[in-house]
Amino acid sequence: MMSLYVPGQSWLHRCPAGVKFVLLCVISAVLLAMHDLWLLGLAFVATLMLYASLGPQGVRQVSALKPLAFLLVILFLFHLMTGDWQQGLRLILHLGSMVLLANLVTITTRLDDMMAALRPIFQPIRFLGLSPSVPALAVALVIRFVPELLRVYNALAEAYRAKTGARGSYRLIAPFMIQALAMSENVAEALSARGGASGFEPAGSARDKNAVGGAAMKEEIPS
Amino acid sequence: MGFWKRKTMAKTGQSGLDLTSQPYAVFEDVGLEMNQTEILQGVSLTLSEQRIGIVGLNGSGKSSLVRLLNGLRLPSTGSLKVFGQPVGAVRGQLPRHVGFVFQNPDHQAIFPTVEEEVAFGLTQLGNSKEDARVAARALLRRYGVEALADKPFTGLSEGQKQLVCILSVLVMDPEILILDEPMSSLDGLATRRIAALLRDLSQKLVMISHDLSLIDGFDRILWMEGGRLKMDGPPDAVLPAYERDINLKAQAAAADQASAGPL
Repeated sequence: MMSLYVPGQSWLHRCPAGVKFVLLCVISAVLLAMHDLWLLGLAFVATLMLYASLGPQGVRQVSALKPLAFLLVILFLFHLMTGDWQQGLRLILHLGSMVLLANLVTITTRLDDMMAALRPIFQPIRFLGLSPSVPALAVALVIRFVPELLRVYNALAEAYRAKTGARGSYRLIAPFMIQALAMSENVAEALSARGGASGFEPAGSARDKNAVGGAAMKEEIPS
Repeated sequence: MGFWKRKTMAKTGQSGLDLTSQPYAVFEDVGLEMNQTEILQGVSLTLSEQRIGIVGLNGSGKSSLVRLLNGLRLPSTGSLKVFGQPVGAVRGQLPRHVGFVFQNPDHQAIFPTVEEEVAFGLTQLGNSKEDARVAARALLRRYGVEALADKPFTGLSEGQKQLVCILSVLVMDPEILILDEPMSSLDGLATRRIAALLRDLSQKLVMISHDLSLIDGFDRILWMEGGRLKMDGPPDAVLPAYERDINLKAQAAAADQASAGPL
């Protein structure tokens, strides 16, 4: 598993991130208000066509729905049993279209564009003395380090299997947490070494020492 | 933090880094203590050479020593000036002038794709996203890896990862580049490529290495042992002495084991 962004030059890649976000919100709201099965089916097909417009690589990305498929089937069966298969189908089309549309934005928007588009939303936290780029950076870190954490877990599971012959168990949770925390220390240090979460203050500013975030800030300054 | 900090701040007003100052770093009886453990003791040094290598066994204080240079750690005792200023007073400004490349590239890269990662330092300095991206791409092109720009970092080879990490620091155009065992995860070929890249840099280098062949052409070698500076001099004096010492220690350990009998 890599980061979710799929590099490319499609028209959706070129579309500004802010526009995509606003459209996603509007379309999702409209979808939720729609109850006509035909219209919903049409919307779902239109969503699939959007993927198709990205070329074969885009079509492959429809697999984003796979983790959800199980849930959708269960939901449909549930409604079938309660005798309202139409409501079940409606639910599937709602969820399916919305997830696919959101995923479409994710795979065609570079992380830093996404961060820039989200920054205005986080402006209010300025009043708390935080930089609006901090939550945006947090999002970036999550996307970057999910595959990394999976790798750490797999390495642990492999070591466990090498020693016991058994598959990974709940016992790996504690060592995994410890390794993840140790890793976060390293990442925080690396972030500090490049100006911290809020970036460098303009040269000569009085807030010099606050410009370094992460590990350097957490650490007690020796006296 | 010492009273000297506020005094100098008042005197110079601004951060007042003198980037041309020679020596660029002056340690006076520097000690470092973390969690009630002495990490460094009585280190006095002046650094001005273009290429400085640091050797020493694990836990000898090498990593902590170099982390003092860019403000990742602050000395507990003694005084340390970098670019003519006490490190405590200029901690926030130091990282842009003293770049740091870590041992493990996987822990250093913050962004999912290569171009974003390299551009990050420039946006940190207040450049616009577009300018940063253009400059990042230009730097990738200069090192012949523009094709990596849109690639996810996780998918790179170890050598490419470390190259990207180095470029993401070089993009800020630091005066000094610190490298903490940068080759430890690389194969022989990648090591040579990175070494060649480092050789051609105009920056001053301070590099920790267990591979002595990588630093035997340097101007000066520092040998750390038990948190102290054990030896300091040109490579042809320090490196053979260091190797001899390792051999003696290995022999002593083997003799100990033999006298203890079979396990």
